[in-house]
Amino acid sequence: MTLAADLRLVLGADRVLDHPLDLQIYAKDAGVTPGTVAAVVFPETTQEVAAVVRIAVVHEVPIVARGAGTGLSGGAVPTRPGLVVALTRLNQIWEVDEAAHTAWVGPGVINLELSQHTTPLGLHYAPDPSSQSACTIGGNVGTNAGGPHCLAEGSTVSHILAVELVTAGGDVLLLGGAAPDPIGLDLVGVVVGSEGTMGLVTKVLVKLTENAPEVRTLLLAFPTIEAAAETVSSVVAGGIVPAALELMDRPMIEAVENFKSCGFPLDAAAVLIAEVAGHPAAVEAEAQLVADAGAAAGATEIRIAATAAERDLIWLGRKSAFGAVAYAAPDYYLHDTVVPRTRLVEAMSGIYEIGERYGISMLNVFHAGDGNLHPLVAFDAKEPGMLEKVRAAADEMVKLSIEVGGALSGEHGIGLEKRDLMGEMFSAVDLDAQARLRDAFDPIGILNPDKVLPEGSRCFDFGLVANLDPESAA
Amino acid sequence: MGWETDHAPRQDELDGCVTCGLCLPHCPTFRLTGSESASPRGRLAAMAAVAAGTAEVDERFEEVMGLCLQCRACEPVCPSVVPFGRAMEGARAEIAVQLPTRRRKLRAWLLGRVLPSRTAVRVASMLAAFAQRLRLHKLPIRLLSRIGGLRRLPLGGPSRAGESRTAAGERVGTAALLIGCVQDAWFGSVNEAAMELLTAAGYDVSAPSGQSCCGALAAHDGAAAATERLAATNVAAFANYDVVVATAAGCSAHLAGYGEWASGGEELADRARDITVVVAEAIADGRLPRLPPRAISVAMQDPCHLRHAQNVVGETREIVSAAGYEPVEIDDKGLCCGAAGAYVLSQPKTSDELGLHKANQVRASEATIVASANPGCEMQLRFHLGDRYDVRHPIELYAEACRGFS
Amino acid sequence: MTFAAIEEWQVSAPEGAPAGALVVAPPNLDAVARVLGWASEVGRPVLPWGGGTRMGPSGGVVPEVVVLTSQLTRVVDWQPDDLTLVVEAGALVDDVEAMLAERQQSAVLAERANGSTIGGMIASGASGYRRLRYGPTRDRILETVMASGDGRVFTSGGRVVKNVTGYDIPRLACGSLGSLGIIGQVCLKLWPVPESAATLDVTVDAFDGLYRPMALLETEDGAMAYLAGTAEEVAGQAAAVGAHAQPGLQWPMPLGGDVQIELRVPSPLTSAAVTQLRNAGATEFRAQHGIGLVAAEFDSWSSERLEELRTWAEGQGGAAVVLASPQSDIDRWGQAPGSVDLQRRVKAAFDPRRIMVPGRLPGGV
Repeated sequence: MTLAADLRLVLGADRVLDHPLDLQIYAKDAGVTPGTVAAVVFPETTQEVAAVVRIAVVHEVPIVARGAGTGLSGGAVPTRPGLVVALTRLNQIWEVDEAAHTAWVGPGVINLELSQHTTPLGLHYAPDPSSQSACTIGGNVGTNAGGPHCLAEGSTVSHILAVELVTAGGDVLLLGGAAPDPIGLDLVGVVVGSEGTMGLVTKVLVKLTENAPEVRTLLLAFPTIEAAAETVSSVVAGGIVPAALELMDRPMIEAVENFKSCGFPLDAAAVLIAEVAGHPAAVEAEAQLVADAGAAAGATEIRIAATAAERDLIWLGRKSAFGAVAYAAPDYYLHDTVVPRTRLVEAMSGIYEIGERYGISMLNVFHAGDGNLHPLVAFDAKEPGMLEKVRAAADEMVKLSIEVGGALSGEHGIGLEKRDLMGEMFSAVDLDAQARLRDAFDPIGILNPDKVLPEGSRCFDFGLVANLDPESAA
Repeated sequence: MGWETDHAPRQDELDGCVTCGLCLPHCPTFRLTGSESASPRGRLAAMAAVAAGTAEVDERFEEVMGLCLQCRACEPVCPSVVPFGRAMEGARAEIAVQLPTRRRKLRAWLLGRVLPSRTAVRVASMLAAFAQRLRLHKLPIRLLSRIGGLRRLPLGGPSRAGESRTAAGERVGTAALLIGCVQDAWFGSVNEAAMELLTAAGYDVSAPSGQSCCGALAAHDGAAAATERLAATNVAAFANYDVVVATAAGCSAHLAGYGEWASGGEELADRARDITVVVAEAIADGRLPRLPPRAISVAMQDPCHLRHAQNVVGETREIVSAAGYEPVEIDDKGLCCGAAGAYVLSQPKTSDELGLHKANQVRASEATIVASANPGCEMQLRFHLGDRYDVRHPIELYAEACRGFS
Repeated sequence: MTFAAIEEWQVSAPEGAPAGALVVAPPNLDAVARVLGWASEVGRPVLPWGGGTRMGPSGGVVPEVVVLTSQLTRVVDWQPDDLTLVVEAGALVDDVEAMLAERQQSAVLAERANGSTIGGMIASGASGYRRLRYGPTRDRILETVMASGDGRVFTSGGRVVKNVTGYDIPRLACGSLGSLGIIGQVCLKLWPVPESAATLDVTVDAFDGLYRPMALLETEDGAMAYLAGTAEEVAGQAAAVGAHAQPGLQWPMPLGGDVQIELRVPSPLTSAAVTQLRNAGATEFRAQHGIGLVAAEFDSWSSERLEELRTWAEGQGGAAVVLASPQSDIDRWGQAPGSVDLQRRVKAAFDPRRIMVPGRLPGGV
């Protein structure tokens, strides 16, 4: 029997798509690279996911898990004709434990809707990627997603206590638990951020965070990027970790104002959005500290949002950034690299230089507090050679980030996009260790192959013999 | 292969999509199915595949497009401002031409000829009125069962076609009323309320007899030729009025897109308003009164073609408040009720799921009056809510309150 | 590599090390890798040794080689403005924290570390009481450089505070108890130390009224809440619960007895866990409210008591872990997790010859 026929036996006709049109529809996520799809399935239970995995194993078809398809690194796109397992229907909020501040949810639950669901309890789910109105918890687990508020609260992995995992063999495992420090190896931490290469997550126990009793949002305008970056450093050096520290450069300010008019100062070279949250007594003092740091660095304007509406307007500006670019240009390529906070200025000027050299227009908005850069290239893919140019510039930017001590990706994931750049950061031995870890989870290489690790990660094998050779050891 | 008509989705409309996926959670059919193929991004991808020559306008393409409610909830949340509703009408027009089935031809005739014919609608209404009295809607036949969603129909009644009234008080301009196809026959009291309120607000009001059905349903179904013909008729009938007012959200939204369908359509579109916008404006200006509050809640249901297509949300609340009621929100996302014009008949399963969901949202609010500014939505809500609930157009509630007060 | 080459790194055994084992203190991580490569080759079980403070029951197999990290003590790179610290695994927690305190920073490792090393703290998966505010230690390990069981030196993670480049092996290393290899160097995320802190004498009931405390502890002497932040915040919160506040964070003395059991349960069950341990005859205990960890000390060993506690804790989705026992072959963990086969494969990925503390993890992994 064919793959689709076997799948239909388990799921029925309605929940298996294999018409060429559907396969094209599923060939892309929010990234720029299309893939090839063999079939798409919509399981509704853990058991169905397990059954689907076993069928794929029999047919030797790669399995790619997919949530809302808002990923930017191609993680949800099969590279060879693969089975896309859409986990969107596993969207139940099973249980919210108010006392423990936890919730069991399906991977298809939408990030923002989980927080909306727990708002009456004074709780929220802290990681807030810009796509949070659409992206799913399962997708967040896959990429270890971040967001502006991860500066103080940590990325997704810090908020996942347990997962139910369907393994490459079709078994169902519970990893982690509601109790602290589950015994044995911490496999939850391996699964989070593994981009569907370690198994399919069918249930998630998330940690919920108490809503801050008081929040202050500030908008600071600066005559130079350097002054804004200096403020970031001195705020952090000053002993506080704000809830968020976001930086936007002039081209981005202009694009946002064109799109949504949030009242951002158009004459500034950069604006910094800072948010402090916590106990009312602390928030007042910390907001002042941020304002003072800004003033000392030469801020031309310091606004402290007085009302919820003013705060919302500032965040609307920040969260509209990608939309603003989408509005202004037919295509965009959104980068994601991290550098040490102290190397921000250096990295930024390098990135501007690369942009100029390639003649591409670039806008910047990023999580300055944790050095997570998001240069955004606006372009038209229909212009011949443009996409190649944009990609080449992207590679240079990533390499620059590594040179100043950074990493390939802060929150979007490696996926397909940066797989071949892994060697910039890791040696053959390092990659081999990662490949072995992956093989422990997926010995047959059926889960999202061609992602995360570059080809040849495993063929490195210097093994014991070389290591024991006194000549080479010396 | 490829597109065959002038109405086809245009390349710039398709290229506008940056595939970010932010539309997905706002799409009712994506919410129900979790399928990209039932999402705005997926539908645009399917259209792009046809445009690129990698897919055909085949039965699957028709299914993918057919499941769309055309509620346009995806439009206001799209960062790239893709005119999705327009592209979808284009795709439907292509399907009509490339996959001409007998059933579709029949629908085109119904939507293009029968529905715009006042005589035909009156005859059908009379039959429906008899059917109501014979309780035929209790029979397990879908078309008949939907009669249960209608208000109690009169066995006959006046059409407002050709009627004119003069402004009461200071005159602010002239208004033409689009009386609509079913609105005239089935929801006469809404048009009556509109005429009363427009004259009270200072308009000389006419319902020009040369007018026709707006053509929204034909456009949604891809009956492009009929849509063009109806639009041309109305462009001629509605010349020389300051404003052209529609009392159904679906109609006012379609008038706003007339530029696509008739020469001179854009000019008409500039003058076209939904009745709720005109009335809310008159209340804000003090041309219509604010009545004292009474402690009665009204559940607010937003027709997609007001909320998503025209960004009209506050106006209906204003009107209901001015009538003295307390507007109650039932759905902060404004998910479609599943009526969606002829969708209620073409996609019964999806339509029912959404209708039940919406009815449950109303029930959770504990209000027993529901304000809805579109006849399709009203019928859907009545059908799924049952007799305990009263579903009314906001301007009806307001006009009645004004009558009681004066 | 011959046995003789390793012999030059041989040192005398630290107190508490298994008798008869070869004890070496390699000068650097490459040397550690060579020892492990040799041990893999000849199939000798290895026990990594940091401060020797958190060794716990050995789990059955007697190690033949003990590898000390006592030569790996350098502070490699401290970037106060980045709030990151790169340090070798053998450095003492107390020394590192004292250094960081000069710039009002902290790695937020266990308070009162008493000779524990950075590597030991990480490998044992131990967190400080302040995890209530800052999260467990594993949230702060940004990068590890390790020698795997088969003698390869590899780096994972990166020296930035936010990173999704490759698999999170640093997190896996945390709490691995030396079963994958030996941690040679780590990059830690630091936190600024708040300007003001206080310790409040309260009752357990008052815990709920506090916003984001550093820690909420209960011991046999009573309940204590630990606050830190701006002076106004600390004073305001203390006033709000009407409690007596001592300045600074006054941590209780660590438990020290030969018989220690820790219950790990969902956080709302912390008080229930205290009751269980008291009923079982605990003489002293340290309960972390809001976390669900309660460690207790007993006067004497009793297998029945352990079984009862275990039955209860496992029934709540938790565990009863033996931290110290006079019986060295005691089952430290109880019921192994359902993922034990996968755990075994993961261990084998790094330690194919199964020389690293075999049997030390649950389920004999």
